[in-house]
Amino acid sequence: MVDRTALIGHAYPPYSFPVEHGKVREFALAVKAGDPVYLDVEEARSAGYANLPVPPTFSAVTAHWAVRDGEDVLGLNLRRVLAGGAEWEYLGDVVVGDVLTVRSRIADVLDKSGSRGPMTLIVTEHEFVNQREETVMRVRSTVIELGEQ
Amino acid sequence: MTESETEARAAAPVPKAPGRRVGPLTRTDFVRYAGAGGDFNPIHHDETFARAAGYPSVFGHGLLTAGILGGYVADWLGRGNLRRFSVRYVGQVWPGDTLTLSGEVLRSESGPDGATEVEVGLTVHSEAGGDAPRLVLRGGATAVYASSAAGGRP
Repeated sequence: MVDRTALIGHAYPPYSFPVEHGKVREFALAVKAGDPVYLDVEEARSAGYANLPVPPTFSAVTAHWAVRDGEDVLGLNLRRVLAGGAEWEYLGDVVVGDVLTVRSRIADVLDKSGSRGPMTLIVTEHEFVNQREETVMRVRSTVIELGEQ
Repeated sequence: MTESETEARAAAPVPKAPGRRVGPLTRTDFVRYAGAGGDFNPIHHDETFARAAGYPSVFGHGLLTAGILGGYVADWLGRGNLRRFSVRYVGQVWPGDTLTLSGEVLRSESGPDGATEVEVGLTVHSEAGGDAPRLVLRGGATAVYASSAAGGRP
């Protein structure tokens, strides 16, 4: 297997991403979130938000915005990749109109042996800071690459 | 309902977790999530690619299941109270599966400031074709309530 432990600490280029009305609605519908607070500005305002708040896992959409400049640091084989898990920490509201800056780094690379043979776990941490320099969210996600069969 | 049950429920900082079933999920649901979330790994939408990788068909994004559970836990605990949400994927979700979401309170503690912190455990099971429910995701969440009032949106 490819040794990727040297990637621990690798920081991706930071990027900004605007929280857009259409994207929040599209995402809420895709995850079948029934709360009208994600879809209707009036509902959001009566719940105390300045605009539509984002669903709890909305951070996933940053994949649309991340600047990677063609750089594929991990070089994962998509046929052998599985999502391991994720953890979100909510420190402040995120609503439509916010502009978030995302800083991501590879926090850990672990080689393990499981029921499906050898595997590599790659843990990435993401920090989300809004236009007022408030850190509003942190996300830690784990991707698994299974060994070659 | 007995009197003691009424008292216990009134004392609980959050209501009992509601039951929720979602599905059956279709390939179209997976494609819609790919577009919304931006994860275009072909294993989730390209049958030929998925079979070549050794799977019987495409399967859902882990983040689709996590996203559905996220909406559920926000509805249950009140989205403004949510401080942490975590998921660990333990099985795949296939086209045709219906998800069953559930949660339970694991811990509830009041701090000196009067705020109550509630920790919950979450599971998602998948059902298909009359088979026994299969665990596909195990998760957890933490919510904080400024006073004894809880539940619903802030």
